[in-house]
Amino acid sequence: MLLAFRCALASERVSATAIEANEFPQLAQELEVWAVPRIVVDGEPRWDGAVPEPEFLRRILAAA
Amino acid sequence: MELLRAEEEAKVRDWFAELQWPVELFVALGPEETPRAGSGDVDFGTELVRVCERLAELGERVTCRTEEDPEGFVRFPAVSIRPDGRDAGVRYDGLPWGYELGSLVGAVVEAGRVEPTLRPESLAALEKLDRDLALDVFVTPT
Repeated sequence: MLLAFRCALASERVSATAIEANEFPQLAQELEVWAVPRIVVDGEPRWDGAVPEPEFLRRILAAA
Repeated sequence: MELLRAEEEAKVRDWFAELQWPVELFVALGPEETPRAGSGDVDFGTELVRVCERLAELGERVTCRTEEDPEGFVRFPAVSIRPDGRDAGVRYDGLPWGYELGSLVGAVVEAGRVEPTLRPESLAALEKLDRDLALDVFVTPT
């Protein structure tokens, strides 16, 4: 989670929101959140699980 | 119930003492009825205010402000973590509890740093972004 926050704090282009899946079950179901952390980029589910910073950046920028 | 154990609280105080500029926890409470159906006795909005006010007690540079149904929020309750009062797009939707309380504390610590903590190559890559990017990370309390 902190990596996403760090990206948002480093770039005005990036926003980062942690969403507590249990409190928003309808949204979690729509985005097929079966495991956490689930990373969603611009509304599209991308991957589950923590990855190192270089890989995190590679993945979010590939989705941009 | 106490939010943090004594040793955890001491650590958080130390981290918050190192903040280089103020960090505001802007809590958005929604129009929905609370406690929500199926949530037992937990009123998520009330609890989020309690968590954020408690964190604000642990650092001179951490403040907490609450508004009902403010503009720009789609889910409630939520907290915007604002470095120097600026909306930097850093939010937590819902109640950070258990392990996830650490994410909120971490967000405050990160927001309190003047210089980003990403690697130089990561910062360079982000500088090339030519459009907005919204990251949502689904989490659970455990």
